[in-house]
Amino acid sequence: MSIMEYNGSAVVAMTGKECVAIAADRRLGAQAQTVSTDFQKVFQMGPKLFVGLPGLGTDAITVSQRLKFRLNMYTLREERDIEPKTMINLVSSFLYERRFGPYFVEPVVAGLDSKNQPYVASTDLIGCPMETSDFVVGGTSSEQLYGMCESLYKPDMAPDDLFETISQALMNAVDRDCLAGWGAIVHIIEKDKITTRELKARMD
Amino acid sequence: MAFEFGGMPQFEAATCAHRSTSKALVKHNAGADVDEDEQQFTGPVPMFSLPRTDNPSEFLHQYSDANPDSKVKIQFAHGTTTLGFKFQHGVIIAVDSRASAGSYIASQTVKKVIEINPYLLGTMAGGAADCSYWERVLAKECRLFELRNGERISVAAASKILANIVYHYRGMGLSMGTMICGWDKKGPGLFYVDSDGTRLTNNLFSVGSGSTYAYGVLDAGYRWDLSVEEAHELARRAIYHATFRDAYSGGHINLYHMKETGWERILNMQDVGPLHYEYEAMKEQSMATTAD
Amino acid sequence: MSQKYNFSLTTFSPSGKLVQIEYALQAVSGGATSIGIKTTEGAVIASEKKMGSILVDEQSITKVDKLTERIGMVYSGMGPDKRVLLAKGRKLAQQYFMTYREQIPTRMLVRELANVMQEYTQRGGVRPFGVSLLVVGFDQHTEKPALYQVDPSGSFFAWKATALGRNMINAKAFLEKRYNDELELEDAVHTAILTLKEGFEGQMTENNIEIGIADSAGFRRLEPTEIKDYLAAIAA
Repeated sequence: MSIMEYNGSAVVAMTGKECVAIAADRRLGAQAQTVSTDFQKVFQMGPKLFVGLPGLGTDAITVSQRLKFRLNMYTLREERDIEPKTMINLVSSFLYERRFGPYFVEPVVAGLDSKNQPYVASTDLIGCPMETSDFVVGGTSSEQLYGMCESLYKPDMAPDDLFETISQALMNAVDRDCLAGWGAIVHIIEKDKITTRELKARMD
Repeated sequence: MAFEFGGMPQFEAATCAHRSTSKALVKHNAGADVDEDEQQFTGPVPMFSLPRTDNPSEFLHQYSDANPDSKVKIQFAHGTTTLGFKFQHGVIIAVDSRASAGSYIASQTVKKVIEINPYLLGTMAGGAADCSYWERVLAKECRLFELRNGERISVAAASKILANIVYHYRGMGLSMGTMICGWDKKGPGLFYVDSDGTRLTNNLFSVGSGSTYAYGVLDAGYRWDLSVEEAHELARRAIYHATFRDAYSGGHINLYHMKETGWERILNMQDVGPLHYEYEAMKEQSMATTAD
Repeated sequence: MSQKYNFSLTTFSPSGKLVQIEYALQAVSGGATSIGIKTTEGAVIASEKKMGSILVDEQSITKVDKLTERIGMVYSGMGPDKRVLLAKGRKLAQQYFMTYREQIPTRMLVRELANVMQEYTQRGGVRPFGVSLLVVGFDQHTEKPALYQVDPSGSFFAWKATALGRNMINAKAFLEKRYNDELELEDAVHTAILTLKEGFEGQMTENNIEIGIADSAGFRRLEPTEIKDYLAAIAA
């Protein structure tokens, strides 16, 4: 049994036209046993920046707190908001510090940069960054998510279209994964607003 | 990876491991290759080719997941919820419908109740192929019994045929946890049989990875004098709660009621997706009324 | 007892001053004059580079140095002290790049350098740096030039234009008259040279001054041949 699959998780982020979306499931399990169905895996890190932390639940909490600490120090020192591109590098160097005793998370970053251009990227558990122009995924349902995203994704979607696409991708992916699901949350980031919706999902 | 329906609780002692009195019941050509064309369909059980070694079960153990040193493993993931209970109006059998391979959901629409004949039902947990194959063999045996004896087989005898077969293959990797339920001269019958050779009878069983959750609901709500409606709802609730808590149970609910006249199918693939929200609404409603 | 074991050289005088810092500032104001000017398109730094003997190979000594591809600095005061700060500044900039994969903003590097200099006013067994720095850069995130002064005390300031060193007072007065917000980069180079010329002892040549420019293309030190052209243009 891999420690990355101990709690179960699914996170996906997608770019649209002048918008990005990030979505995650809500389950926290102890292997087969579902313990919680309102576990937070996506964290707001800036006015237009979110980080998703699929993987081991306890590390997701710790990493979110330590990233927020570093981010607060950055914003105070630099007197400006961090760029999403810089955020993924911050995450990357943070994780590589623990190269030989890693946090068991696969961070997913989604945000709009200072020019309101959409940005998504992810890293593995020791901080290898992966930047894409379309979508990134993470968690126990990542294979299913890749399958859904590859078939549903279209470039330059409007916010409502993007919401529908990312929601369908996530819900259908977790319906093929024993360890993830039990509800979902979606954040749509636009230049002047953030929309958060909770999805009604299968609870088995 | 093989498709699986779930694990059975491991019973500590082999409570009743009876050897078959009929030596002819189970035959196999130990150690030798079986030519497929020479398969004998006359005997109760066809012959299986076994590893060419003095001790096939020891040989198989090398490759089984029970052996921690083995790198090649015939993996047996477990996941399912099945239940059965006797009460004043007969026997209730209910199951989920999920098949998983590792953490992947292979199917949400599996039939885990095998209709052996109009008076016998079998549930499946563990290896999908093992359960369906051996219960099919059991169906054949039961039909042959009827033809030979001019009367229906008892539930006790039917379950014992199955127990004897799996006991014969003990240690060779069969994986099944099943309930055999029926109605015979003695009335309602319910037996638990698993691949370790365990065979038990009782008023209430639940088998599979979700069984603990189902037991929780059943123990809280079970009475001998349950009405038919109450019994159906108790079984449905128990399966629903198991699918909610157990990652490896889910999909749909199938529910059977065994009566003197034979079994009736009460729930045919009821989706647990919407069911969760029905129960949620009921919970809110009852909370609102108690608050008043 | 503890007074007996105070290793700090920078100790408050009864009047509340840290005289060591004042001595360090003395070293700066006795050093070669440096100039810094900021315009909308870039920033210029310049300094005298007088040698103790005509036999010294001028190319082996630099006053204007690169901290990163986008940031450069010049100093007034003690050359060896500058070398230490330059090395630390470069390392700090690369550490920032390692973490964020992004060029350090000028302000951040100035802060880091100022922190180093402050530490040397408080730690035991050390003396303050005998230099003041002028740091210029052109930042990616603002797309604007920056000009900062850092002092031995660890304080730092942003300037539109300023001067350090021996001729500081006259040079600043000169800059106050010459500076305006619409100054172009070329004009700023001319102004920097003219300011240095005020109170320059002896003949100014392409080998006894140094000039650095930070603009959207990055930071670079002008070649002597380029300086020669500027000097010729001014003379004409």
